[in-house]
Amino acid sequence: MENRNIHCSPYWHWVPAAFALSGIILFIFATYGPPASSSGFVSTLKGFFEWAAPEYAAAKAHYKSIPGPGSWLFTFALGMAIGGFVAGRTSKDIPVRDVPRIWEKRFGTGRTKRYAATFFGGFLILFGSRLAGGCTLGLFISGSTQLAVSGLYFGVVIFAAAMLTARLIFGKTAEQEDIQ
Amino acid sequence: MTQIWLGLFSGIAFGFVIQRIGATDAHRMARSHLMLDADIPRFMVLAVALSAVGLFGLQSVGVGRTLPLPTSIVATGLAAIIFGIGWGLTGYCPGTTWAAAGEGRMDAVFALLGGLAGAALFAQLHETLIPVLYDPTNVGQITLTDLFGNHAAAVAVLVIVFSLCIWGIGRLWGPSEGVLAFERKPDSETPSENAGKNG
Repeated sequence: MENRNIHCSPYWHWVPAAFALSGIILFIFATYGPPASSSGFVSTLKGFFEWAAPEYAAAKAHYKSIPGPGSWLFTFALGMAIGGFVAGRTSKDIPVRDVPRIWEKRFGTGRTKRYAATFFGGFLILFGSRLAGGCTLGLFISGSTQLAVSGLYFGVVIFAAAMLTARLIFGKTAEQEDIQ
Repeated sequence: MTQIWLGLFSGIAFGFVIQRIGATDAHRMARSHLMLDADIPRFMVLAVALSAVGLFGLQSVGVGRTLPLPTSIVATGLAAIIFGIGWGLTGYCPGTTWAAAGEGRMDAVFALLGGLAGAALFAQLHETLIPVLYDPTNVGQITLTDLFGNHAAAVAVLVIVFSLCIWGIGRLWGPSEGVLAFERKPDSETPSENAGKNG
């Protein structure tokens, strides 16, 4: 702890953090199977439609392929929210903001604009994930761990597209001001 | 029933670690995408390399369940482009959205709602899109083992390539951790602002 305080970084070093994450990933492979998080969204929706429109939920191939809320996939997503909550509450140093600083520098402090953008972005990442069959975790991380070509291919393209998008949106801002 | 508790426990541990590395912070994620902060990309790549070695070990003693997803040249690539645009714009991916929403970031809550809408639309269109985009260029559940003929050799290739990636990211991405840590100091001096947001 002393060491971290001297450096003032609130974050874990990436090497031990990667060991911790891969330990968790291997635990998941051993006790469940390939980890996934975008499926948790489908699981949530399936639970909703089974209650609101059972015939619709029973008829759609996508809901047939993924279990409802009483499943590992759903409790894993719920657990991630709890883990984020616990981690946020036990860290005084990592800032929690509703609008990221780089976004404020580029688009101002208005929350509506940021929330509309994250709603739209969230829409894109889940639409894409469901088309590919997985996300950063369910396809890139768990796929590549299993040496799947799909995971490696998806990983390379998502990084390239995200880096290009971030550069188009925030590139000038980051150049003009030294964004930390 | 056991699966429910295992899922919850695994999720809590996973969410905790990704918050501590800063992957739930969209600002830090944007810096990673802008090649200004090497920590998260190196963290992800190293975690995958270590997991691949570990999974090889698990499988050699007959532990664990694997299910590699098929590769569809068109659908997987197109999906990745759509995904990447959303990731670059928001700084969130599906997993970090849950953890960041739990952490109390309101923009992540909206990303989560948008995600539910996106998943619902895809589920609605599944029967139409999969035969058009996915199936024609689906080359099956291919893995590096199929390409290199041997599981151990394939793991070795992945580890070598990922190690080169980690080295490359360290070289190409911006300021070192020491500089970043120094620059980050003002953040930790504004606890009152965070307290206000949380309240």
